[in-house]
Amino acid sequence: MSEKHTYGGAYVPEMLWETLQKLDAEFENAKKDTAFKSEFENLLKNYSGRPTPLIFAARATEELGGAKIYLKNEGANHTGAHKITHCLGQALIAKRLGKKMLIADTGAGQHGVATATVAAKLGFSCKIFMGRIDMERQRPNVFLMERLGATVVPVEYGTKTLKDAVNEALKFWMENLDEAYFVIGSVVGPKPYPSMNRYFQSVISREIRAQLQEREGKPPDVVVACVGGGSNAMGSFDDFIHEKSVQLIGVEAGGRGKKLGEHASRVLSGAEGIFQGYKSLFLQTEDGQIAPTHSISAGLDYPGIGPELANLHAEGRVELTYATDDEAVAAVDFFAKLEGVISALESAHALAHVQKIAPKMPKDSIIVATLSGRGDKDLFNFARAFKDESFREFLKDEYGRYE
Amino acid sequence: MAGMNKLQTLLGDPSTLLRVKSGKPFFMAHMIAGYRSDSESEQVAQALVKGGADIIELQIPFSDPMADGPTIAVASEDALKAGATVAKSLELLKKVAAFGKPVAVMSYTNPVFRYGIPKFVKTIADAGASALIVPDCPFDTEEGQALIAACKENNICFIPVVSPGVPEERLKQLASAGGGSSSGGKDLLGFVYCTSRQGITGATSKFAKDLADFATLAKRVFNLPLAVGFGVKSKEDVQSLAKIADIVIAGSVFVDAIKASGIGTVEKTIREIIQTE
Ligand SMILES: Cc1ncc(COP(=O)(O)O)c(C=O)c1O
Repeated sequence: MSEKHTYGGAYVPEMLWETLQKLDAEFENAKKDTAFKSEFENLLKNYSGRPTPLIFAARATEELGGAKIYLKNEGANHTGAHKITHCLGQALIAKRLGKKMLIADTGAGQHGVATATVAAKLGFSCKIFMGRIDMERQRPNVFLMERLGATVVPVEYGTKTLKDAVNEALKFWMENLDEAYFVIGSVVGPKPYPSMNRYFQSVISREIRAQLQEREGKPPDVVVACVGGGSNAMGSFDDFIHEKSVQLIGVEAGGRGKKLGEHASRVLSGAEGIFQGYKSLFLQTEDGQIAPTHSISAGLDYPGIGPELANLHAEGRVELTYATDDEAVAAVDFFAKLEGVISALESAHALAHVQKIAPKMPKDSIIVATLSGRGDKDLFNFARAFKDESFREFLKDEYGRYE
Repeated sequence: MAGMNKLQTLLGDPSTLLRVKSGKPFFMAHMIAGYRSDSESEQVAQALVKGGADIIELQIPFSDPMADGPTIAVASEDALKAGATVAKSLELLKKVAAFGKPVAVMSYTNPVFRYGIPKFVKTIADAGASALIVPDCPFDTEEGQALIAACKENNICFIPVVSPGVPEERLKQLASAGGGSSSGGKDLLGFVYCTSRQGITGATSKFAKDLADFATLAKRVFNLPLAVGFGVKSKEDVQSLAKIADIVIAGSVFVDAIKASGIGTVEKTIREIIQTE
């Protein structure tokens, strides 16, 4: 273990110290409690719909002409993405801690919808913090969260996007520590959140192993996942980390250019920093100010990367790369036409990388790409990206139907 | 051995801890470097000193200030938009220190970390600062340890920030961070910054119900002067805190005053707040 790259930690005001200590202890207890495990597994199976399918992408494999491509379809989960898994896990921990309210930040609204869903299911009140600009861009998800009984609180300062929503949720939490549990939406934040969310998401990699064993009788050669904070990636990698023959690749948002502010790739221009409670790689200025980010996919549009993933990258175990906005949109189209799968724009970054590497790999090798979410939520974004005129007309007409 | 810095001289006066009894605490006035511009913030510092501040808390703006409410968060953002940088803030620090009052520099971990911890602490010491406050850097992290070492070397007080609800066990750990109050700890820590409640800065005067009990506990554990801030906005707030605090802190109220009617009102605002007649 190198001294220099021990990312993680808990860089928070002292008022959070005890809360994090208690959370850490409760999580350790819960892991040893078979009743907790079976309640979690029951919810995953009978509410979220696990195990999710492992799709053999036969036509894409043939088209690309190299490695066999499998898609781990996390989009088949209830609410459409892997996020619900760590929401369910954390909500069960919150229950054990006697909390009555779940709070969360959200960017695109996916984590917000998953949290609001779980809050409704398990009987918590729910407050979701969301940047004003994201609320305007993601109105359908705001609508859904409100229908699920959550209060959506607009954040009016900063860049008015995800990182500010996280700040605001943290602040509300500090003012309401007795009542509120902060459901963090990825493998980020102060200890123990990164390892806790990895623990919940690790079911993805165990299912991949079992499903592939049954179908191919061997583990994959490569696992590819998109990386925002890193929860679907850490979940997909976890069971393979000690198996050096399995190559692990995380794909970040390359956005529309390589300059700071045009992308959200820490491997392109991240620097060591300390932010939102943890030490990791962050997109920031020379002066240590957190930089604005861009990605066509709201879920990858965040300046930091999970500390465990940053450590694995520093150790050389995980390779990090990026795909651009345009490559992601093209990958959605490619897999939609060939596999009947409409991917979320986030996950499409992983798919874009599969398109790059599969042709160069031997035919008996296997790539598993995690399809972290389905594309329904991106309907408006896709329509805009494809400059679909009929959709524009539809929106106009729809407006008319409201009158 | 290094001499005493200005803050230590101020607090070292034997009458300090009697201030609470006489109901006349010191006043630490908070301001943001570069808000609304470099020159305006220099004038703000001057007005605060003229108006009666005993200590100036100079916040170096950070894009994402997690312990600050909307007032200071937006003002920090405005300062950055107006061109504030860490380097310019450190230039301003020299000018503010020249007004003669002890200056406590406040910022968040990331800008300090990026600047380089030893270099940052040496720079603020050379610029005339007496103390450093970094609310999101616990002393038992690698960077917290580096800050402590650099502060010791440069004769800068490293101020712990605590809140009602922080358990006694943790307070004891913090108190011993500088090697215990009987050895170097007292000089290192200077005073304890106690927030008036759990939460963030901002101009709502809802002090925690258990604030007085917590203040007593903190003073007993640290054996240091106690500063109380967060939500102080009126003469009445200062008077009610005077019963428990050796130092009272206010900040958002000055930002509000500047926003409402410009920097000309800062001196009047501080006079109104700290008058004890
Ligand atoms: C479908 C989908 N994939 C990926 C992400 C990125 O998060 P993470 O890197 O934590 O998996 C998000 C975040 O909102 C998402 O909605």
